[in-house]
Amino acid sequence: MLIRQSSGPGSGNGPALPELHRRLKWVAVIGIGALVVLIGRLWQLQVMRGEGYYERTVSNVVKERYLPSVRGKILDRHGVALADNRPAFNIYATPRQMTPAVKAELVRMLGLSDDEITKIDERLEVGRKRDSRAAIVILEDQGRDRAALVEQSLARLPGIEVHHEPYRYYPQGDLAAHMIGYMTQMTAVEADRLGNQGYDTSELIGRYGLEDKWENYLRGKKGTERYAVDARGQRLDDATASALIQGERGVPAVPGANLVLTIDVELQRLAEKAVSRTAASAVVVVEPSTGKIRAIVSKPSFDPNIMTGHLTQAEETMLKQDPRKPFIDKALRMTYPPGSIFKFATAIAALEDAQAAEDENMFCTGQYQLSGTVFRCHGTHGKVNLLQAIQHSCDTYFWKLSERTGLDRIAEVASEYGLGRPTNLGLNGDAGGRIPTKEWYERTSHYKVGYATNAAIGQGDVEVTVLQMAMAYAALGNGGKLYVPQVVDRLEAHDGRTITRYEPQVARQMKTPSSALDIWLRGMWKVTNEPGGTAFEHGHVELVPVMGKTGTAEVKKHHKQDDEDVERWNPNAAHAWFAGWAPRENPEIVIVVLVEHGGPGGTVAWPIAKQILEGYFTKIRTPPLRMPEPAARPAAAPARKDVR
Amino acid sequence: MKGTGLLLPRATVGVSRWRRFRAAVDWPLIVVIVALCTLGLLNLYSATRGVRHHAKFDTQVQWMVVGAIGFAAATIVDYRTMVRLAWLGLGFAISLLFVARWLGSTGDSNHGITYRWLNIGGMGIQPSELAKLMVILVLASVFKDIEPSSYAPRRLLGQLAILVVPIGLIAIQPDLGTAILLGLIVLSTGFLAMPSVWPMVHVTLAGLLAIPIVWETMHEYQQKRILGFIDCGIAPTKECWHTQQSIYAVGSGKIWGKGFLEGTQNQFNFVPEHWTDFPYSVWAEEWGFIGSVVLLAIFGFLLVWVLNVALSARDRMGSVICVGVAAMTFWHVVVNVAMVLGIAPVVGVTLPFVSYGGSSLVTFFLAMGLVANVSLRKHGY
Repeated sequence: MLIRQSSGPGSGNGPALPELHRRLKWVAVIGIGALVVLIGRLWQLQVMRGEGYYERTVSNVVKERYLPSVRGKILDRHGVALADNRPAFNIYATPRQMTPAVKAELVRMLGLSDDEITKIDERLEVGRKRDSRAAIVILEDQGRDRAALVEQSLARLPGIEVHHEPYRYYPQGDLAAHMIGYMTQMTAVEADRLGNQGYDTSELIGRYGLEDKWENYLRGKKGTERYAVDARGQRLDDATASALIQGERGVPAVPGANLVLTIDVELQRLAEKAVSRTAASAVVVVEPSTGKIRAIVSKPSFDPNIMTGHLTQAEETMLKQDPRKPFIDKALRMTYPPGSIFKFATAIAALEDAQAAEDENMFCTGQYQLSGTVFRCHGTHGKVNLLQAIQHSCDTYFWKLSERTGLDRIAEVASEYGLGRPTNLGLNGDAGGRIPTKEWYERTSHYKVGYATNAAIGQGDVEVTVLQMAMAYAALGNGGKLYVPQVVDRLEAHDGRTITRYEPQVARQMKTPSSALDIWLRGMWKVTNEPGGTAFEHGHVELVPVMGKTGTAEVKKHHKQDDEDVERWNPNAAHAWFAGWAPRENPEIVIVVLVEHGGPGGTVAWPIAKQILEGYFTKIRTPPLRMPEPAARPAAAPARKDVR
Repeated sequence: MKGTGLLLPRATVGVSRWRRFRAAVDWPLIVVIVALCTLGLLNLYSATRGVRHHAKFDTQVQWMVVGAIGFAAATIVDYRTMVRLAWLGLGFAISLLFVARWLGSTGDSNHGITYRWLNIGGMGIQPSELAKLMVILVLASVFKDIEPSSYAPRRLLGQLAILVVPIGLIAIQPDLGTAILLGLIVLSTGFLAMPSVWPMVHVTLAGLLAIPIVWETMHEYQQKRILGFIDCGIAPTKECWHTQQSIYAVGSGKIWGKGFLEGTQNQFNFVPEHWTDFPYSVWAEEWGFIGSVVLLAIFGFLLVWVLNVALSARDRMGSVICVGVAAMTFWHVVVNVAMVLGIAPVVGVTLPFVSYGGSSLVTFFLAMGLVANVSLRKHGY
């Protein structure tokens, strides 16, 4: 020790402070004790736990942020974008730093509406639950002005960031909106569930249609970026960050795959224009040789651009209260009684069993009695044979046929053609509907003969979707192949390389003999091409031989005051149907039109189908058809005996 | 021999007065102080490198110059003269505390109104720092002539009881840290200078018994700090976060440290106000275990050296001064470092010569000046 037991020269009387000398041991004990405690603690912190604390200090300054991947586009068959990305400014906030003062400043600066404030609060709440230190999007797709305002004042807004990121948009507006779908911010529950799948709380996810179904392909793979911040969360400059961050600065994002559809935007636009005057309707246009959907319409529609992040509370309430149910895809989610377009099942069932013949005449008095119940036909058709019954859509003839075939035979044929079962398109809750059988009635209540009478003309408990009908008519038109409908043609990488091509899929080959089928087809010909045909009376396509069948499906009467507020939409009116194709041989397109509560099929649905058909053959088809010479037409008219 | 100022060794007769002075000056003490100031400045440079605080380095250098002049003054004036005036000085310090109480500026608005600072000519002065020095001189005065024959513990304790006045005044500023520190200086010096330790043992026990009463009179923020120190879960406070970040900073230095200017906790302000109360965390982060121990060793050497001067002092008075200064230094270092290492609550106690701040710096320069004073006059009568 340095402390010597020496007394200074001249101080001959011993130490100046003898007590200190006596208690030097204590001083040493306390001093060394303190030193041991402090050094021991240093050893514990720096040597034993140093590595852990080092990691902590690194994570204090080095933060990780997701780099959004560019979402795959949705393209039509010619490469026209239905869903694309554009640059947008997103405003982020770190929930932990979002004090009331910061929020007030933001509200004042941007002049936020109550709606926006509510949205911000909700998102912050979700963010707080997940990780209050991770920045989340509070306002997406803000204008240049707002972004600039915020960027200027970042110093006064701790935790607020502005990022320039790709944002989903739908260049065609509400075109094919139900099929394309839209995206929304995830809910708190989803955020918990999807958190470990690499989703970020602030992300938008596909919510409907293809955006939802193909989410995993479209989203791509997010990248990460590592950056450095100081204690107040302010980002440090790049040079400092490079010095602090060891290893990778981040992983680049992988863009999502593009979805190339079978849809033709032009045809889609044509179909939507054709139904523009209806209040609620659905159209499906299918290529019968492949089952590829060329256009699919559900009206009323919505603008996915608004749905994707811009929907206000008021707009949402309005959409949800609309009795026409704009969010339900009317082409494949809603089921309707098919009415007369269902009669092919009754006719084919009877013909297959040799219980009907082309030239058998029956007499329609306008009404039909069965065990005390009177069924009224929509007209008094007098003496008609089978072909005429199809042409005039005489119900009596089919009621009588149903007596011979029974309910189950009709159901069997209908099911064979894919009715009453989901089509496996797998989009928007592709509905099954119902083809009732005796067994079904026994199960639910009690079977009565009258049920078969109703089912024979596609009424009663028969419920199908527009898409099912389109696939069934495609099978009728292509000689008996029921396809699985297809809307995605192929999956492309962002550089245009094809990843997967989806081939047409045949669900089933029909057993219908061609003789039976041919009789039904000749009946259809009369509908659209001969005077008295339910469609011919309301217009004729000169361009190309068209086959078709109209339907007018009565609905159960109900009286709801609210529902009648919507213009041109009377919930007590019948559904108008048309199903058909063109040209007669080797059809190029099958078209099914439904106008919800539109009225008679011939006057309402057929003109729409006609408009679409004419538009297709003159504008969209390559090469387009010219109006034929009058002499050329009769050549196509004679009926053919066998259909491929 | 009264009235003589500098008494230099007789053996050096014939050598010039300057050379004799030079030989008598306590160079090791000065070297240690210079070393500490250098390390302190180095550390301050790193701690305040951010643009916002760069002026602090210059201010600190200016205060060091002031401190050095103070050191010289405290060395030259005979300590016996100063001890004779000790009670007067304490009276002055107490009156300043009163003035600060009534006229002082609000120093730290975070904790409500406190009265630590006096503004004199634009400079903030802490009267409590002056009080520390005066208490040491008063202790020297109290213990200066205790002969075993005339030993009267009652009278001694009576005199010591007067020291409760400045301690109490500082405590109600409120500056609990400095009040406790003053108490520790008085107790430590008492333990080492009283002929019998028993009166001090009794005082200590009484002090411990008074803790619940003190607790009740404490401000809520002070209670929170201490609760927060015991368990951050009970009362999570700002200090709690400070301590946590300080521990991360120290620990992350590992054995060799992150290197000068490389401490991320420091450079990016994770430990707030690290230049005043937490300079040791900056040091430990950048210089690691080795550097931390070296700094502690320098303080250890300083303490040993001051005690050495105490042992070799010419009279009781000088010896007690040195013991008082040693106690002050010891408790400052221990409390500050323990606070940085998370084993003591966060109280505003500075690290001698390393912490930023004029009052603390000048106080320690003056205190060490007193030690040099005693050391200079240890020879001869």
